[in-house]
Amino acid sequence: MLRTLVPRAASRSAIGPCSSTLQPTGFCLLTFRGRGYATEAAEHDLVIIGGGGGGYVAAIKAGQEGMKVACIEKRGALGGTCLNVGCIPSKSLLNNSFMYHQILHDTKKRGIDVGDVKLNLKQMMSAKNTSVDGLTKGVEFLFKKNKVEYVKGTAAFSGEHEVKVNLVDGGEQTLRAKNIIIATGSEATPFPGLTIDEKKVITSTGAISLESVPKKMVVIGGGIIGLEMGSVWSRLGSEVTVVEFLGQIGGPGMDAEISKTTKKILEKQGMKFKLNTKVLEGDASGEGVKLKVEAAKGGKEETLDANVVLVAIGRRPYTAGLGLENIGLEVDNKGRLIIDEQYRTKLSHIRVIGDCTFGPMLAHKAEEEAVAAIEYIKKGYGHVNYNAIPSVMYTHPEVAWVGQNEAELKEQGVKYKTGSFPFSANSRAKTNLETEGMVKFIADAETDRILGIHIIGANAGEMIAEGVLALEYGASSEDVGRTSHAHPTLAEAFKEAAMATYSKAIHY
Amino acid sequence: MPAMSPTMTEGNIASWKVKEGDAFSTGDVLLEIETDKAQMDVEAQDDGKMAKIMQHDGAKSVKVGTRIAVIAEANDDLSTLEIPAEEPSPASPSQEEKKSGVDASQSSESQAEAPPSSKGEDMPPAKPPRPSSPLPPPGKAQKQTYPLYPSIAQLLHEKGIPTSEAEKIPASGPKGRLLKGDVLAYLGRISSSYSSEQSIRITKLGHLDLSNAKPAPPKELAPPPSTKAQDPAATEKEKTETEIAVPISLSSVLSVQKRIQATLGVTFPLSTFIARATELANDDLPRSATAPTADELFNDVLGLNTVSSKTSRGNYMPQITALPGTIFTEKAGPRRQTDIYDFLIGKASSTIASRSIGVPLPGIVVGSKPGEATNVFSVSAAKGEEKRAKVFLERVKTILQVEPGRLIL
Repeated sequence: MLRTLVPRAASRSAIGPCSSTLQPTGFCLLTFRGRGYATEAAEHDLVIIGGGGGGYVAAIKAGQEGMKVACIEKRGALGGTCLNVGCIPSKSLLNNSFMYHQILHDTKKRGIDVGDVKLNLKQMMSAKNTSVDGLTKGVEFLFKKNKVEYVKGTAAFSGEHEVKVNLVDGGEQTLRAKNIIIATGSEATPFPGLTIDEKKVITSTGAISLESVPKKMVVIGGGIIGLEMGSVWSRLGSEVTVVEFLGQIGGPGMDAEISKTTKKILEKQGMKFKLNTKVLEGDASGEGVKLKVEAAKGGKEETLDANVVLVAIGRRPYTAGLGLENIGLEVDNKGRLIIDEQYRTKLSHIRVIGDCTFGPMLAHKAEEEAVAAIEYIKKGYGHVNYNAIPSVMYTHPEVAWVGQNEAELKEQGVKYKTGSFPFSANSRAKTNLETEGMVKFIADAETDRILGIHIIGANAGEMIAEGVLALEYGASSEDVGRTSHAHPTLAEAFKEAAMATYSKAIHY
Repeated sequence: MPAMSPTMTEGNIASWKVKEGDAFSTGDVLLEIETDKAQMDVEAQDDGKMAKIMQHDGAKSVKVGTRIAVIAEANDDLSTLEIPAEEPSPASPSQEEKKSGVDASQSSESQAEAPPSSKGEDMPPAKPPRPSSPLPPPGKAQKQTYPLYPSIAQLLHEKGIPTSEAEKIPASGPKGRLLKGDVLAYLGRISSSYSSEQSIRITKLGHLDLSNAKPAPPKELAPPPSTKAQDPAATEKEKTETEIAVPISLSSVLSVQKRIQATLGVTFPLSTFIARATELANDDLPRSATAPTADELFNDVLGLNTVSSKTSRGNYMPQITALPGTIFTEKAGPRRQTDIYDFLIGKASSTIASRSIGVPLPGIVVGSKPGEATNVFSVSAAKGEEKRAKVFLERVKTILQVEPGRLIL
């Protein structure tokens, strides 16, 4: 039996509207040679699988270090989850939905009377897409600038030094490399029993592109993603209920005191919370979604109705189809690729960074690792301080922290002292009419070394950078307190909280 | 007598702030010491009791290292307590350790640890109090190439210690930086090892926690060695795939091809017709019964493809065989891929070697009469996608048999 493949790639460009009439003869042959099966190229110094926050940064850094590098990405766009369906689009929506909410509820007292305020969700979404587009193109430009070869396709290991790529445009390409970095990221963990369709049962991916504002939304999981996306739709008019299994919102890293304050503020904004509550099962067969919940420690059952359910119970490493078993790479019981401190798998030329391995699933953590991994390859050492990686939740007010919280220190038996300063005593916050929140320092009781900084306030995400720097340098609260901060700024609250830790705040 | 600065060799006791038998808690000022430079408070490092004061208020020129008092644990009974001998061994009992803040021991370690006295006196240089237990090595004193932290500059000035002394203080901070805790330890305000122990703890936090890695149990079915080179995902897919075939006559395509050649003088290869028909037929195929994959949803959200709710673009590529097959044969089983190298070097087909441009693809039967040019177009469809695949093939059939001319013009 004779079989022939029709060159699939040929059609894509050729068909179009029937204007492209005259094709050069020998079209078919050309296609085979040019696009389908590339001849084996020279060996790369480095091949990176995944063009997300870890992968593309590693690629650029490698390019800057003069390596011959290729980055494989199977989506049609660089930037991964973060840039395409995560951090970036959600921040666009958070910012714009906040403005809408503020115009509706807040401008009057500031002396701005606004007439007819209407939500144009379509335009809001397209503003988001513009931001995302611009940034993705930016990454592509940086690839060109740093001579990174961009391979669009799905990669799988075919050997220890060899990756086979199923190209998006059809055909296959085999890349050989001295070093390989796996940066395939993560995907939302599905909720057992609820099938994700990104319309009614959504993950964060669907939550950034709903076509209309749902009347009722239930968020399963009161972590950062759940609270951010819950905030967006709550501001746009949804009735949002957050169901959380644990006794506090914001996830385990957030300081309990800050978490309580956050919950109070978000409740004031209209979100509802069901803590210590377990979701038993969901039924999405009807028009909406019905969720059966009960108190986590056992208790009465209750049914929640929702038009849309957002599943935000965490993310899990994504390595499907990578062919790890072809080269004997191991994952742990949570699906994370097993590595050593230098990100090496048991095949020492293959390293893993970002969400698909250990550590917090944060874009900036992956970026740090990307640079460090390249430096390990080129220079033998790379620096990442996992104790100084900030977390930020972009609700309003924002919540940000770095280092340890009180509960963690108690557990380790460390004696500490705290100092905090409320924004209600800060001049800039007063003038902005944004006085919710505070800055809280946790420092060692003996040495005064800063162990953790926790902020809730309008500008927390930007302000935490100073805290990260302080932690990185092993500073004491006195070191921060003796550093001049401009007046009047929100950052003064940061300084005053430091002063309150080793001595006394001036303005409180 | 604790050394309040590296250059201090002796000091006067200005006044005791506690009496014998008094209890005190951490941070309480125990006594004031005068040196030639300054007057300083000595604070308690831990809760405790004052057992005995040896050098009373106003004592002058007490050498560093001389015992000035003995303190006991907070819950010790002072009446039954034995005051240990003056020269304690390094492995002293626990009570001895409690003296740390007040009574600097003169063990042999002290010389190694302490910064050398700048004046080069013969006194054994004092050292910040040493604690008990196995110690982490404290940071080494080193030249501070960075500006001193503000807290340190402040402390040094307050205590009258020249900033040049800073590089003689053991530093425990990141990259050997001097921290406030190091200076506090040096001044005897806190136990000397605390700062370095803390640095070790925090350094540990700075590393990626790999301790909780439990390898997943091996997969139940290890892929047999023969498929090792193949993409396992593909192998798996093939098992659940069904091949769907439809016979399609190419005769009208051929007549169109001839007509175009006659009128325009250009030859379009058959592959162009088939490729374009494939392209058209792939548009807006009905969605398969299986749920869309995460990837599809992702791309949908990104707007990377135009997926509407009911239909989606297919990516079928028909395989064409010359053998007339039975209509709608459905056979399960792995399909064989043509090896591309064989194909390129002409092994796959005897016709390929003699193939020239404009001649139909190998494996395609070309007949001049309708019916003779029937080829079997087949695609393999995953489970649940059979219907979608059939729709696709029917469309290809319609396009190629009914109006192939429109593919070109």
